[in-house]
Amino acid sequence: MRGAATLAAPPAARLPWYVAATLVAATSAKVGIIWDISWHRSIGRDTFWTPAHAAIYLGGVLAGLACGWLVLRTSFAGTTEQRAATVGFWGFRGPLGAWVCIWGAFAMITSAPLDNWWHNAYGLDVKVLSPPHVILALGIWAIQLGSLFLVLSLQNRSPAQQAPRLYGLLAAYVVGILLQNAATIGIEQVGFPNVAHNAVYYQVAAGALPILLVAAGRAVRLRWPATTAALVYMAFSLVMIWILQLAPATPKLAPVFNPVTHMVPPPFPLLLVVPAVAIDLLMQRVGPGRDWRLAALVGLAFLAAFFVTQWFFTEFLLSPHSHTFLFGVDHWDYSSRPGPWRYRFWRAETDPVTPRALAIAAVLAVVSARLGLWWGNWMTRLRR
Amino acid sequence: MTRLGLRLGALVGIGLVALAHVGSPDTYFEGAAGPYPVRVVVRNPGVVPGLAQITVRLLAPHAVRRVLVLPVFWDPRTAAPPPADVATPVPGDSTLYSAALWLMSSGSYSVRVTIEGAAGTGTTLVPVLAVATRRLALDKPLGAALLALGAFLCAGALTIVGAAVRESGLEPGAEPDRGRTRRSRIAILLGALVLAFALIGGRAWWNAVDAAYRSGLYRPLHATAAVQASAAASVLHFTIDDSSWANRQRQWTPLIPDHGHLMHLFLVRARSLDGFAHLHPLPLDSATFETALPPLPAGPYRVYADIVHESGFTETLVATAEIGSPATAWRPSDPDDAWLSGNVKREKGNVVPLADGSTMTWERADTPFVVDQDAPLRFTVTGPDGKPAALEPYMGMAAHAMITRDDGAVFVHLHPAGTISVTAQETFVVRQPGDTVQGELSKRLAAMEMASGDRKAVAAGEVSFPYAFPQPGHYRIWVQVRHSGRIETGVFDVDVRAAR
Repeated sequence: MRGAATLAAPPAARLPWYVAATLVAATSAKVGIIWDISWHRSIGRDTFWTPAHAAIYLGGVLAGLACGWLVLRTSFAGTTEQRAATVGFWGFRGPLGAWVCIWGAFAMITSAPLDNWWHNAYGLDVKVLSPPHVILALGIWAIQLGSLFLVLSLQNRSPAQQAPRLYGLLAAYVVGILLQNAATIGIEQVGFPNVAHNAVYYQVAAGALPILLVAAGRAVRLRWPATTAALVYMAFSLVMIWILQLAPATPKLAPVFNPVTHMVPPPFPLLLVVPAVAIDLLMQRVGPGRDWRLAALVGLAFLAAFFVTQWFFTEFLLSPHSHTFLFGVDHWDYSSRPGPWRYRFWRAETDPVTPRALAIAAVLAVVSARLGLWWGNWMTRLRR
Repeated sequence: MTRLGLRLGALVGIGLVALAHVGSPDTYFEGAAGPYPVRVVVRNPGVVPGLAQITVRLLAPHAVRRVLVLPVFWDPRTAAPPPADVATPVPGDSTLYSAALWLMSSGSYSVRVTIEGAAGTGTTLVPVLAVATRRLALDKPLGAALLALGAFLCAGALTIVGAAVRESGLEPGAEPDRGRTRRSRIAILLGALVLAFALIGGRAWWNAVDAAYRSGLYRPLHATAAVQASAAASVLHFTIDDSSWANRQRQWTPLIPDHGHLMHLFLVRARSLDGFAHLHPLPLDSATFETALPPLPAGPYRVYADIVHESGFTETLVATAEIGSPATAWRPSDPDDAWLSGNVKREKGNVVPLADGSTMTWERADTPFVVDQDAPLRFTVTGPDGKPAALEPYMGMAAHAMITRDDGAVFVHLHPAGTISVTAQETFVVRQPGDTVQGELSKRLAAMEMASGDRKAVAAGEVSFPYAFPQPGHYRIWVQVRHSGRIETGVFDVDVRAAR
């Protein structure tokens, strides 16, 4: 009966073991991805058995085993109450988030032999974006989304005004990791400060980021949900930047144009906390029921705050004042040829920020915000 | 299409798998790394970027501390090479070391092998070509497993979508009503549609990657050969007619002479293998070469042309030629040209008579020859007086061996130094940072050649070649040496078994 109480209506901020396991899994996979990218930029050469790969696959294994065990136990030895807070899957019972995690683990398992064959057939990581890597990325997203669904179902089963703050914080934490995913995938478009004076920078950010921030704003029961998620994203980046810079590394693949001595950190994070505050303020004032109007307001506010912040902050990041351990900028791949391009805005002539480009970005931001509201609304109803 | 056309078409097809040699992509080298005599074998990964396996065998007893290997892709702008890899001793064999080489770009690498030991530090450079030569097939068990996992993922994703719509928003214990069930089915249908599009897109993506990879597979420059016969003499024209070679913007570096000749051309009479010539055509221009044709028997011939680019990249170009009635007279275009014809005795036997009365013996035991295992290719030449014959360098080499499988799928030109081109090796030695002007390097090479002369000493009456047969089948070997100013050719046959 104790287990039933845990699943049905947690009286206090008690975190079930399987939810904790998926949170660790989501974190491990994300750390592994950032580590692996740094590995390829600093050392170049890898095998399946690098610690970065181990962290990624640990995420899959941990989430898969924890949720697998949960659904087996619930299906075959669960009490009526335990089974009541689950959804069905081919005769088995388990929370929706657990099924999403299990699916993610299988996707990661599928990607491993395919990726190995791919390397033997077409060459070692010729391109980052390849079908096996996409399957792996889908698996990682699934594990993180599954973890978010598990936390939100706990939060949503709590009485409306009494949901433990821990659930809100953990949900915002997972959204912060999802923001990290978006930043990782868009590293070429929105990663480096050198591209912050391009139209594509604002269009990609406007399309990809409001959906996550707004969904958090709607579904996470905190006073400042989007801001918290943005802070998590930034803190995650900074911790990785600081730790990776401390680790010695030597390039092991020719040609070496830039003899790096330490792990190359990821780019400095976007200052997402600024537009996130704007989103939270607007969402506090415009409640549910006026979502189209809210989407328009939030989308435009996001773009305005993001544009002003990033336009000027990236100028600082390209200046000598930011070349410190704290900011971790001006670290480049071993295979890049050092030159003045490091301190310039790239493609400023070919892809300038024009009123038309900003208008497209604004439309994308509004659409993204509207999608975020739909998704957030669905997540507020998540009970199982 | 006539039978001849079909036959020639099949012969041209051989070129698709050619490398620096034909059907024999691995590198064999024997030489000295300072005071240490070594044999180096590099197994081509078949894909780039890929991992090539290298083994270094010490051929004389020496106390060795470390064996280091480093593949260097030459680029004048490279800041520094990465650190060399330490080759690990192979368990159970105290003289063998092995490592993996990361070959990341297509083209010409020099692998620097360094031996550190009691006799000091010795280094040698082994030219290695990194080119994609094959496309790996997805074997059935793996394909079936991936298909099953893929089907499970698709079905699982749709089940999750259905469950999410049907039940996830319900309070614990509540049952879904008909409306939810209907919406769930619609969601599954929509999900299936999205999934179908994703799968179709994924398939198109995979096919595009595959097509791009196939189009990037290495093919030697396309070439054609034609015989022009007149009453006085027959002449063979060999033309590199590949569009990438004719293009002025081409990436190719110019050809450089390999032991004194821009091209080494071999003619092998198809099927019967009873006509053979080793010729050195003279260039008429950058794409056309010409040589006087010896009186070879009439018939279809396979034509193999070895060339070396200034980049160190070596190729064997493949063509076919139909020789009509044998030429009545032959004036060699080059004093190093040699040929052989007639029905060579194919009986088993390790001793063959040479034209000048001496004999050549293949010093081999009765152990069978197996694919990818060191083949004992050691030959002794005995003069008519029964003593080891005094051999002279033939184009700077103690000997040349040409090996072909009877169907032409394998053709390789070996020296005692192995499958490598010594000239390609020298290009890596004389290279300097900032070598970006084409032609500079070959001038330096020529100066080096002039200074050293025909310097290779030849051990009395004995030659050997490091090699392992790449495929099973019936092979013919022509071994050429120079003795008393004449080029002598010994012909041998061997059957090679598949590895178990």
